[in-house]
Amino acid sequence: MINEAALRSRETDLAVDPLASPASEPLLRVENLSIRFDGAPKGINVVDDVSFSLAKGKTLCIVGESGCGKSVTALALMGLLPTPPARIVQGTAHFEGKDLLGLTERERADLRGNSTAMIFQEPMTSLNPAFTVGDQIAEGILRHRKVSKTEAWERALEMLRRVRIPAPEKRLRAYPHELSGGMRQRVMIAMALANDPQLLIADEPTTALDVTIQAQIISLIRRLQEESGMSMILITHDLGVVAEIADEVVVMYAGRVVESGSVEAIFEDPQHPYTIGLMGSVPSLGRRQGRLATIRGSVPPAELMPKGCRFTPRCPFAESRCATEPPPLVEATPKHHVRCWYAPLEQHRGAVS
Amino acid sequence: MIDKSETILEGIDLVKHFGGGGLLSSPTIVRAVDGVSLQVKRGETFAIVGESGCGKSTLGRLLLRLIEATAGDVLYEGRSIRSLSQREMRRLRRELQIIFQDPFASLNPRMNVRDIVGEPVALHGLAHGNERRERVDELLRTVGLLPAHADRYPHEFSGGQRQRIGIARALAGEPKLIIGDEPVSALDVSIQAQIINLLEDLKEQFGLTLVIVAHDLAVIRHMSDRIAVMYLGEIVELSETDDLFDNPLHPYTQALLTAIPVPSPVNRTPKPLLQGDVPSPTAPPPGCRFHTRCPHAKALCREQHPRLEAAEGGRKVACHFWREIQNAGAGSIAAPPASPALTKRLELYRTWRDRQDNAGASGC
Repeated sequence: MINEAALRSRETDLAVDPLASPASEPLLRVENLSIRFDGAPKGINVVDDVSFSLAKGKTLCIVGESGCGKSVTALALMGLLPTPPARIVQGTAHFEGKDLLGLTERERADLRGNSTAMIFQEPMTSLNPAFTVGDQIAEGILRHRKVSKTEAWERALEMLRRVRIPAPEKRLRAYPHELSGGMRQRVMIAMALANDPQLLIADEPTTALDVTIQAQIISLIRRLQEESGMSMILITHDLGVVAEIADEVVVMYAGRVVESGSVEAIFEDPQHPYTIGLMGSVPSLGRRQGRLATIRGSVPPAELMPKGCRFTPRCPFAESRCATEPPPLVEATPKHHVRCWYAPLEQHRGAVS
Repeated sequence: MIDKSETILEGIDLVKHFGGGGLLSSPTIVRAVDGVSLQVKRGETFAIVGESGCGKSTLGRLLLRLIEATAGDVLYEGRSIRSLSQREMRRLRRELQIIFQDPFASLNPRMNVRDIVGEPVALHGLAHGNERRERVDELLRTVGLLPAHADRYPHEFSGGQRQRIGIARALAGEPKLIIGDEPVSALDVSIQAQIINLLEDLKEQFGLTLVIVAHDLAVIRHMSDRIAVMYLGEIVELSETDDLFDNPLHPYTQALLTAIPVPSPVNRTPKPLLQGDVPSPTAPPPGCRFHTRCPHAKALCREQHPRLEAAEGGRKVACHFWREIQNAGAGSIAAPPASPALTKRLELYRTWRDRQDNAGASGC
């Protein structure tokens, strides 16, 4: 705890953690996480000073576009980041009294698939084509629990029932290629939940799926979460999915958190120009209201990343100060943080001259 | 002025079956497209929507004769394109173009951008030498790329830029109709919006007709004038866009609309969801193909195949009971209005964004 206090006093402007209070210690607290890839220009971290926390039973969505560092953050938490080239420059991730980033390989392996688990975007590439579904679910159970093979298979069957796979006895002996995309994602979820994890990290779990199947999987995940009380980090680029499932939202851009807060705060009162631009880029489901607002250009490559706010080259509101001075993540309203010099915009940028 | 009532492209009873052919191939037949008729009007944006495996991409390719139909015909400006010779067809391709989903796979990695975009110009003998150079530069500017980058190779560009290259190539022959096969679904949200706006601008500028094949219903609602909904190789509903979203007639359309996650956390009510997966197109269910997943299915649906019949407002629907199930507009989408704070800031964003475009060199 001393360590944490020290960290906090050092970075006072990074008032991190809207949920932390002595009464309810969050399940996971990530603080000042920075990750660097070897070969990247000096001082440019692929994940830069990221902090967030997750309460028990809650869902945190990390939103952002390709390359914003959302998946790298998740892989770091799971201890799945290949080192080299990736290196954790600084930061901690407290989970059940341990720092996930400081564990030995052995300790990580004990945790992974047990109290923390992860599901991925493309279920076909994450399942082994040479083994049956039952084998693959049972493997995780045998790794973490002292049970016989028969018991593990029974548990696997129970898991297939829990994820509502029809004819589970038959599916247990099926190979991944014999299943549809939606069924494979259900199998992935069954594998991840087999040991009743407290933390599930889902990296774009529905992106590869059709819209009706996506709706099934989202409703399944939500129901399983209610049943088990686990916490979840869901990584997505789809604001619709965020609105459906999140309690808390972290918006990332080019490796940094640009805005964070409750899902209501983010959708009702978005503050950062990137969040606003993102919402304007999504076509509305209602009647057409003119052209889409767009964000100009694309994310700059690492060697052209500005020293200050990384959104500067694309931001309509940017000024010379933005390019050189990185804005701090400040509290806009209680528990709603934004990293912009000019938030709220109507105050600082309202007078259209 | 474009006459929007005139049909530019028409598919008549199009059928495409894959497999079941040669001595060694398997006897299973995939009925990718099974008796589809539609008319695309000049100057409109026509959308073909459906889930994976419904045959929407195959239909798009049939309409351009990129693959040969098993049966049926395609009329372009009243003329059958299935009876054209290879040579005549090649000449016609100037007018009928396609943009693909994956900008990474659809550009030749060993050609630079000047050659990629210049190839159709050369092929159709539209310009030579210096004139061709200028034409390519002009095309690149049209799609928001810098002519100075014409000597670069596809791998040097981002996904959005590659899609722009694909669009420039499609425009090179001065087409009248462009089919976009999931043109934005591989792109990030902010890039997606740029490409959607670009396509709309180009359509306006060149008087194009667009046929968009896609699965993202929000994109489709934003872009298109009319929509055909496909399920297992058939059109189940065809309608004007607003009518379809306000009052979907077919139970599959209703289910599709219900399944879209609405980007507003205000009213999270559990929704009635479609159960199960799409059956295999190798063995479509008898009767109505949707009956295995339809919440309204009755005995008749299992036995008799519903025809695509006319409904009010020029709409078409293939369901025995579409009149009976129209209680209280099931599945219609009520997108909650944006919050006052978002509306205000989005307006501010647009104002400053316009200024950014006017001030900056390369607005995209």
